[in-house]
Amino acid sequence: MDSSNDDALDIIITNVVATFRTRCHLNLRTIALEGTNVIYKPEVGKVLMKLRKPKITASIWSSGKIICTGATSEDDAKVGARRLARCLQKLGFKVRFSAFKVVNVLAVCSMPFSIHLVDFTKNNRPIASYEPELHPAATYRIKHLKATIQVFSTGSLTVTGPNVQNVATAVEQVYPLLFECRKPLREKRKVN
Amino acid sequence: MSSRTCHTCGGTDIDVDQARGSAVCTSCGSVLEDNIIVSEVQFVEGSGGVSSAVGQFVSADGPVKAPQLGSGFHTSVGKESRAQTLQSGKRQIQQLGSQLQLNQHCLDTAFNFFKMVVSKHLTRGRKMEHVIAACLYLVCRTEGTPHMLLDLSDLLQVNVYILGKTFLLLARELCINAPAIDPCLYIPRFAHMLDFGTKTHDVSMTALRLVQRMKRDWMHTGRRPSGLCGAALLVAARMHTFRRTVKDVISVVKVCQTTLRKRLTEFEETPTSQLTIDEFMRVDLEQECDPPSFTAGQHKTKMQQLEHELTRKLDEVEGEISCYKNEIETELEKSRPKLRGIYAAYAREINPEDTEVLSSASDLEEVESEEAELQAATQHLTQDFLCQVMEEEVGQDRKTDGVRQKMGPEVEGGGALRQVAPLATILGKLTTTAPFDLQQTFDPSPEDDETERGVLDLDGIDDQEIEKYILNDREVQVKTELWMIQNAEYLQEQREKDERIRKEKEQGTYKEKKKKKSKKGEQVEALTAGEAIEKMLEKKKISRKINYDVLRDLNSRGGGSSPAHPPNTCAAHPPNTNTDAQQKLNRRRQRRSSGVNHELAANASIMGKRFHLLISTTTKKKKRVESQVQNPVTMTTTTTKAVAETSHDPEPHPTSSSSTAVPPTVEAEEEEEAEEEECVSALQLVGDYGCEEEEVF
Repeated sequence: MDSSNDDALDIIITNVVATFRTRCHLNLRTIALEGTNVIYKPEVGKVLMKLRKPKITASIWSSGKIICTGATSEDDAKVGARRLARCLQKLGFKVRFSAFKVVNVLAVCSMPFSIHLVDFTKNNRPIASYEPELHPAATYRIKHLKATIQVFSTGSLTVTGPNVQNVATAVEQVYPLLFECRKPLREKRKVN
Repeated sequence: MSSRTCHTCGGTDIDVDQARGSAVCTSCGSVLEDNIIVSEVQFVEGSGGVSSAVGQFVSADGPVKAPQLGSGFHTSVGKESRAQTLQSGKRQIQQLGSQLQLNQHCLDTAFNFFKMVVSKHLTRGRKMEHVIAACLYLVCRTEGTPHMLLDLSDLLQVNVYILGKTFLLLARELCINAPAIDPCLYIPRFAHMLDFGTKTHDVSMTALRLVQRMKRDWMHTGRRPSGLCGAALLVAARMHTFRRTVKDVISVVKVCQTTLRKRLTEFEETPTSQLTIDEFMRVDLEQECDPPSFTAGQHKTKMQQLEHELTRKLDEVEGEISCYKNEIETELEKSRPKLRGIYAAYAREINPEDTEVLSSASDLEEVESEEAELQAATQHLTQDFLCQVMEEEVGQDRKTDGVRQKMGPEVEGGGALRQVAPLATILGKLTTTAPFDLQQTFDPSPEDDETERGVLDLDGIDDQEIEKYILNDREVQVKTELWMIQNAEYLQEQREKDERIRKEKEQGTYKEKKKKKSKKGEQVEALTAGEAIEKMLEKKKISRKINYDVLRDLNSRGGGSSPAHPPNTCAAHPPNTNTDAQQKLNRRRQRRSSGVNHELAANASIMGKRFHLLISTTTKKKKRVESQVQNPVTMTTTTTKAVAETSHDPEPHPTSSSSTAVPPTVEAEEEEEAEEEECVSALQLVGDYGCEEEEVF
């Protein structure tokens, strides 16, 4: 039985969310009027700014707090954040780049076998929960890593955690449990 | 009665009068108890000569205190609130449970769950309905009743996912492992609703077998059980020659038509579907199938494999393609549409970037690394492109782009914009899969310092590109106009709001919109804790039984005015009025308590008696009890005017108070004493001080 095959299993990071502060008050109207690729939402009180490279969407609040989403790696997120700060600087605000923190990382992974969710939930009672009426996947929460893994019956996994390392560890942890409840593959049926 | 000691004099000789129900100390005369509760059973004769015992049953679920007990809800009698919560919860559970036709045992269990939830403070911040529904659903799951979360949400008209969230949370917090839902549980219920008459049982059994078969064929993982039941019932009905249309079934089972059809199709693909009815009833096939979504995935991988083969062939032909590519490029250059405005600037930028990418001479490290990445990863790229092609073809309108992309990374297609987006995604992918990242280009060390100082590290940030993000003046104008037009409504609202606020300010009626509504109302101004308590008690008009003088004494010489006593004292007061700083407090009080006058008047007589007792007992001359309103009762006309006049003066001082009040009070004390002995009439005093009386002890 294989235990964690990190090289065999492809963990693809699809989204990285990061926040940082500019330590200065930002005038949203100025940003909205003078920037390209911006959407101003006055009811909510924020500006959405999209960068092309790296592909990032940032929510900018007037207090100077900024949330960047859409990056594909932690470094990408940092580059994007810095670029954004530079852009704001050029618009005329006294921007300082501080308190950059990656808040959430979302990754997908696929097992080469399908999984029997009911058994999986039974074996891992309080940590795993499965409500078919609500969501087709079983949720497995690892408290000490602060990671959540959603397990689908096809064998694909969605992992969210505070950083990439945690995500990888989470997958490694859950792999043996999933392997136990795998569904043995029968001969492939012809696809109609 | 157990012998108690008197609170005031310490005497042990207490006379308990059963008739009047009072306990009085014989040495000092203070009333220790009023309305003594006797523990006797009394009988009353009802209509028809039937005698019944007087009394009420108190439920075992906690004290159900009647609100007239007189104790306020302000003190830490949290038990009362808790009992109320439990009571109301029980009521709601009964109500909801009866609608679901749950038996009493289930309802009791649900109530137990609810009690646990309340004790763990999980009801905070959640609607009571949701919590109740979640408790009921927990019971349904543990007991295995055929109730769905959907039923509950139907009854409550709440989104089922919200209920689900609450349910999951409660289950986790209470560590209750609800067993997984078995679709077989729902079959009898739905069969009943589908009205099969005498053959309901047979149909149910057939449907059950079908569901079990489906389970073995892996159709049930990750699916709503109701969908499976619907499909099974439909087939079972047809098998028993009942004509039930899809519409009938979905109205009972509450799934969408598409879902039902899909389940049926999936079932059709299993080998079991090939059996005839008789065979199915007799035989059970051994083999199991893969889940349908898994087979769909397999299909995809197969397609991808085909693509792989294609790419291999493609590599062989690459050389040929590259010259085609060059030709096409030149063609496109000629036919490229002219881009205006920002896009023009953007297009111009693209070309230099491209040339930088192509040429090796570039200043920016970033671009260099990109180039290196690109060069090293061409093989990866072709594969990625193909995958992208797959997605795009499946998706939308990028077919032409896909073709171009196959040519190579440097191809510039028609719309420059469209190109860059895919380019960026490709590069994005590379950063995760390729061995070298952009990380190499940035120095990790200076970042540490900078983050502390907050200065922006400009390494690797292409200023030119950033410039693109900022519009020039004319563009700003255009955008401003557009934005104004677009958000005209919002701006209008803002302007109106500002005007409204300005007008109100001028009128002096402007009130800051309070976000939090304080139920307590006005803030009580007080210097010491004791004063605050007294004022509050007075406002609430709580108890006549509290000896506020003693309360005050406890807090030493605080500036407090005792609230509730005014009623007592005022009535009898002519002799005892004080002037002093208390007036100020009076004034304020007076205003507030104007409504209470009537009551006080009525109580005056009773108070009078009490007052005498109190006076005799207390030796303290000090304090000022605020007499409030009282006065109006005794001296209406004269006082009001006088009061009104003087009311303004003391106002400024309200509680600024005790400190300043102390010296005056010292003087006042002496005055008080003097007055007491003089027995000055109220009117006189009013004339002197223009205020209501205060008493002194």
